[in-house]
Amino acid sequence: MSEVNTAVSHVHRVAQALGEPSSLLALREAAWRTFQELPQPYVEKTDLRKLTWETGTFSEQVGKVPAEVQAYIDRLQHSYALFVDGLPVDLRLTEEAKAAGVTYCTIHEAPEKAEALWKAHFGTVVTANENKWTALNQALFAGGVFLYAPKGTHIDAPFETVYVWTGGESGAYSRSLVVAAELADIQYAETVFAATTGAKVVNSHVLEIVALADSRVQVSTADAFHRGPTHFVTRRARVGKDAHVLWTVADTSDGLCVELVENELAGAGAKGLARVVGLGHGRAHVDLTASMRHVGRHTESEIVMHGALRDKANTIFRSRTEIVKGAVGAGSEQHDRMIMIDGTARADAIPMLLIDENDVQRCGHAASVGKIDPTQVYYLMSRGIPKSIAVQMIIWGYLHDTVEALASDPMRELVVARIERELSR
Amino acid sequence: MGKPDFRVQNLHVSVEGKEILKGLNLHIRGGEIHAIMGPNGTGKSTLASSLMGHPHYEVTAGDVVLDGEDVLAMSTDERARAGLFLAMQYPAEVPGVSNANFIRQALNARRGEGNELPVIQFHRKLQEKMKALNIDASFAERYLNEGFSGGEKKRNEILQMSMLEPRIAILDEIDSGLDIDALKIVANGVNQLRSDNIGFLIITHYQRLLNYIVPDHVHVMMQGRIVRSGDAKLAEELEAKGYDWLKKELGIEDETVEVEA
Ligand SMILES: Nc1ncnc2c1ncn2[C@@H]1O[C@H](COP(=O)(O)OP(=O)(O)OP(=O)(O)O)[C@@H](O)[C@H]1O
Ligand SMILES: [Mg+2]
Repeated sequence: MSEVNTAVSHVHRVAQALGEPSSLLALREAAWRTFQELPQPYVEKTDLRKLTWETGTFSEQVGKVPAEVQAYIDRLQHSYALFVDGLPVDLRLTEEAKAAGVTYCTIHEAPEKAEALWKAHFGTVVTANENKWTALNQALFAGGVFLYAPKGTHIDAPFETVYVWTGGESGAYSRSLVVAAELADIQYAETVFAATTGAKVVNSHVLEIVALADSRVQVSTADAFHRGPTHFVTRRARVGKDAHVLWTVADTSDGLCVELVENELAGAGAKGLARVVGLGHGRAHVDLTASMRHVGRHTESEIVMHGALRDKANTIFRSRTEIVKGAVGAGSEQHDRMIMIDGTARADAIPMLLIDENDVQRCGHAASVGKIDPTQVYYLMSRGIPKSIAVQMIIWGYLHDTVEALASDPMRELVVARIERELSR
Repeated sequence: MGKPDFRVQNLHVSVEGKEILKGLNLHIRGGEIHAIMGPNGTGKSTLASSLMGHPHYEVTAGDVVLDGEDVLAMSTDERARAGLFLAMQYPAEVPGVSNANFIRQALNARRGEGNELPVIQFHRKLQEKMKALNIDASFAERYLNEGFSGGEKKRNEILQMSMLEPRIAILDEIDSGLDIDALKIVANGVNQLRSDNIGFLIITHYQRLLNYIVPDHVHVMMQGRIVRSGDAKLAEELEAKGYDWLKKELGIEDETVEVEA
């Protein structure tokens, strides 16, 4: 069989297994063609020459939920959806959310359950022709939610998608779409539990967020991807007029990852915040870009990235601000700081400013890579605290504010445990 | 444990190859307050830092002994757990680490494993001490020294001292940057702790502090050593007359550590 046919049959299998309407199948097939036509990607500082585009074999067998994940799920008080290897296992909606009239289903059910919304938004924030991995995701996506919060909805608890990858042969292609209608105020979270796997496949995850006028969406993510596959992650929000999207991203991956979290500040007065903490360890290669694209007038953004590295980790943090022509009166702030804890880790903090508009309100940036401040260590030690604990306290202090901003107690505690496990080694 | 006994003998200290302390002797017992005065750049802070084991300072000769234990063989944290405390001239700021968490970690480290103070008792004790030092309750949850004013930092150092109850407390210019009311509060904090279980070494430029904390011994440092010792009267004399008469008496032209080498 030619490559095309293998792949098309793969696309068909996914679509069939998930019981999707045929309109969606056509979309997948078109995306697959785009995937094949698009050129090989080039990412500065991340060597993708050995990158395979192997997608593995999609399995319709629902894997077992690991005990760690079950324990996590059991603690969730808010609405959540659980996917194991891309297949839906559980989806729970709180009474509060039901009463508010939200639509909450798997992404595969959405074309039928919310046809108009689906047609209006799916694939518009992260498009298939953006690059090879977004195309691949649109062709093969399995797992993910569709969430629609009607006008004025205010729910003070997250909707959390829990993705479990048990380390099978198949690539992982999750995709979720969140739409916040006018004046809605909601929280959305994604938590990843991934097993280590030897499978040399390519994974591509996508999250699309549409924040309509005057809405506010807080997004939290907790990723931990491991070595074996190549992981591409594309998360983007389109932020409407006077809307506000705030990201809190916690990454403790030790695999090869190329990740993007971005706000497109489309409407006038749109605002964006991205807080990122990363702990690089082992032989991680994490290339993470936090980006703000100013398109509307008088838009504002802030990026705060804090990384800590040990072992042989190689972490690249890019803070990117783009102000397109016509986005007058934009204000933006970037803080990008990385600490080398020990070992032979390599860190790059790269501020990127792409400004095509003369009328800019304010555009500040600061990026630094350094060691732990020895005067802080000395100060803590001078009060009797042993050096190793002093170092941990300082690193925690530095990651603290962002970890605190995560969506829920279980999520915070999960991220704390993941960081603690690496710091206390 | 008996009265603290702290001896510094013939201490020589270098920084980046330059000798700063040139044979310093000091003996402090529990219940005693020693004050060290002296012009700028004569090695006072160097003494304090090297006693605490700051990594920049290299001890090239001499001994430091606390209760029979060799302090110079200890790391900075071991010195603190042995009962040494230094209120620093310029305490570090540590964002993200709350003041209360820091003090609790320090206190529990000092008390040792299995002897930690229960959380509720800790907070009660902390609040009492903060009240006594007129520190607003919000400072417990603020990040360690971050954005504290000069005077707030000094009071925070004294708060840590009164929580940790050290055996030997070294206070480096605890009075600088304090307004009159704060000075009284800080002095009161020191006087509260005063007992046979603690000895003090107070580094200061001003007699004013010594009006509130009356020292038993006053030492003058020049050129990296103690050049004159006396009682509280010596401090008054220095306040009134400055250092020139003493320099003349001792035949010193440049009192800083620079000249000799
Ligand atoms: N880390 C250092 N590196 C270089 N020189 C140093 C260092 N620490 C101290 N010195 C030098 O040692 C000398 C003594 O400094 P020290 O801070 O001990 O003086 P001091 O008596 O405390 O002065 P002050 O009254 O101004 O606080 C000064 O010349 C100072 O520049
Ligand atoms: Mg000094």
